[in-house]
Amino acid sequence: MAFLDLVNLTKTYGTFTAVDSLSFSVERGSFVSLLGPSGCGKTTTLQMIAGFEEVSSGRILLNGRDLAAVPARQRGLGIVFQTYALFMHMTVAENVAFGLEMRKVDRAERKRRVAEALDLVHLSHLADRYPRAMSGGQRQRVALARALVIQPELLLLDEPLSNLDAKLREEMQLELRRIQREAGVTTLLVTHDQSEAMALSDQVIVMERGRLQQAAAPFDAYEAPQTSFVSGFLGKSNSLRGRLSGKGPEGSALDLGGLRLQGPAADLPPGEVELALRPERIELVAEGEGLVSGTVSEQVFLGDQWLLKVETPLGPLLILRRNTGRPEAAPGETVHLSWQRDHLRILPVEGAA
Amino acid sequence: MRRNGIFAKAFCALFALFMLAPILVVIGVSFTPTGYLEFPPSGLSLRWFRAILDNPDFIAAAWISLKLALIAATLATVLAVPAALAIGRGSFRGREALQALFMSPLMVPTVVLGIAFLRFLTLVGISGTFTGMMLCHVVIVTPFILRLVLASVVGLDAATERAAVAMGASDWTVFRRITLPTILPGIVGGWVLAFITSFDELTVTVFIASPSTTTLPVRMFSHIAQTTDPLVASVSTVAILFTVALMLTVDRLYGLDKLLIGEGKT
Repeated sequence: MAFLDLVNLTKTYGTFTAVDSLSFSVERGSFVSLLGPSGCGKTTTLQMIAGFEEVSSGRILLNGRDLAAVPARQRGLGIVFQTYALFMHMTVAENVAFGLEMRKVDRAERKRRVAEALDLVHLSHLADRYPRAMSGGQRQRVALARALVIQPELLLLDEPLSNLDAKLREEMQLELRRIQREAGVTTLLVTHDQSEAMALSDQVIVMERGRLQQAAAPFDAYEAPQTSFVSGFLGKSNSLRGRLSGKGPEGSALDLGGLRLQGPAADLPPGEVELALRPERIELVAEGEGLVSGTVSEQVFLGDQWLLKVETPLGPLLILRRNTGRPEAAPGETVHLSWQRDHLRILPVEGAA
Repeated sequence: MRRNGIFAKAFCALFALFMLAPILVVIGVSFTPTGYLEFPPSGLSLRWFRAILDNPDFIAAAWISLKLALIAATLATVLAVPAALAIGRGSFRGREALQALFMSPLMVPTVVLGIAFLRFLTLVGISGTFTGMMLCHVVIVTPFILRLVLASVVGLDAATERAAVAMGASDWTVFRRITLPTILPGIVGGWVLAFITSFDELTVTVFIASPSTTTLPVRMFSHIAQTTDPLVASVSTVAILFTVALMLTVDRLYGLDKLLIGEGKT
């Protein structure tokens, strides 16, 4: 049994199902992200684990203990809220000490642990400041210190980085990972930012419309998405419709609007399928060597990469090319595209499952 | 930043003058040495301030007003804070109706309220008593407090309370340590506004005051009805100074603009 187990967790509001029999497990000490677009039920799930939302059905087991009968204030979880939810009328040290005070930790011990927690987030020099006189990144650290000082069994992070600007967010991602490792605390992060989830987690749990889409290590979820939603949500992806016409041990035969292609072996019955192809896996090749040809319709400079949009008989395809000094193709040019057979992902048609 | 043009400045100056003129005139008149209302005063004299001391009924009325305003504002605060918390955060049936009910004393013409209170107090059998008058003032000042407390409750991030709960705080501890300190500026602002409203309330009070419960505004009103000497001006000046002192104290403690604009979250 894992450290945190969600078993068929369901939350309904009237006729609306926010979380639909969600099950997943989190190993002790790991960093897991609950990832999905807004409204997918990830925050509701976090609120249920925290004890702020009632569970409609299903169970939450923490360290083998069923949380159903445990009120929020006895769950002993550390929570960092999206708004940080700092106590504005208290200093940083008082904010951090609050949880220890509630646990009736004596003054000397309290002081020592507050200092320790502030040290962990590199804020010792600001202990006597009030939160209103601090930047977003500093408030974020205070919230983290406050959540960690009670040595929670589980740390819940609700979109903690979404209020920070892009550069600070990247810095805080590294910080967050360091702090989590040093504290050794099992962490569940709720986020809609796929790059954040992939950068931070040992495991990502992708949700959509209240349902689990895939639970896997970030690399596996990116490389082997099980649904077209996961493929489109984690990174960029070209989505194509086709028919799976035959399969063999070393590959499958695909038919894309008359174009015959080879794909990797697929565990699907013949028929309509969805094909996902990452833009960075498409190569530009010489005439005659391509699988498909098309005309460049748009070219976007991304700094380290060029994003090309190519109109092909299969539909528009996005292609990412490393910026090696000059663009490889200009709008209006005809290009020839190729990719390795195994880079094509064959997925069931959305909604058919 | 855009600088104001000459017309904008002139407009502001005139507007300020328009607002302040009556007060300046009253203060000027109160220093007159003559026995009639005179502005500008022909000399500077404290004659009419001394006269206040010779009129114990004014002093008695001032004490009644002070006591009334203190008790009414405090009682109304005790009522308005839980009401604001419920209305500001709850989503229950009749929430809007409840808010409208609390706010209704602001909508009803005060003359109508005065007659209604007089009738009601007589029916209940407490007309002419301090308690009766005090209860009426509670009704009158509650909307002022509710408005300001409501503004700070709306600015209260529910997540802060949840954060406290998650750290193990009981409901009472959350209220005492987190909720109350956060909405305190709204409460203090509302209390001050209520205090001032009660202290100078005339229209309603004139209906329900009895000789033993004459408030300062009622006393001044009946004084003017009989004579027009500068005594009311000097009493007014003292009352104005008292109000200014109260405002300055509150401003020092909490910042007036924050209180009266009702900004709860900072």
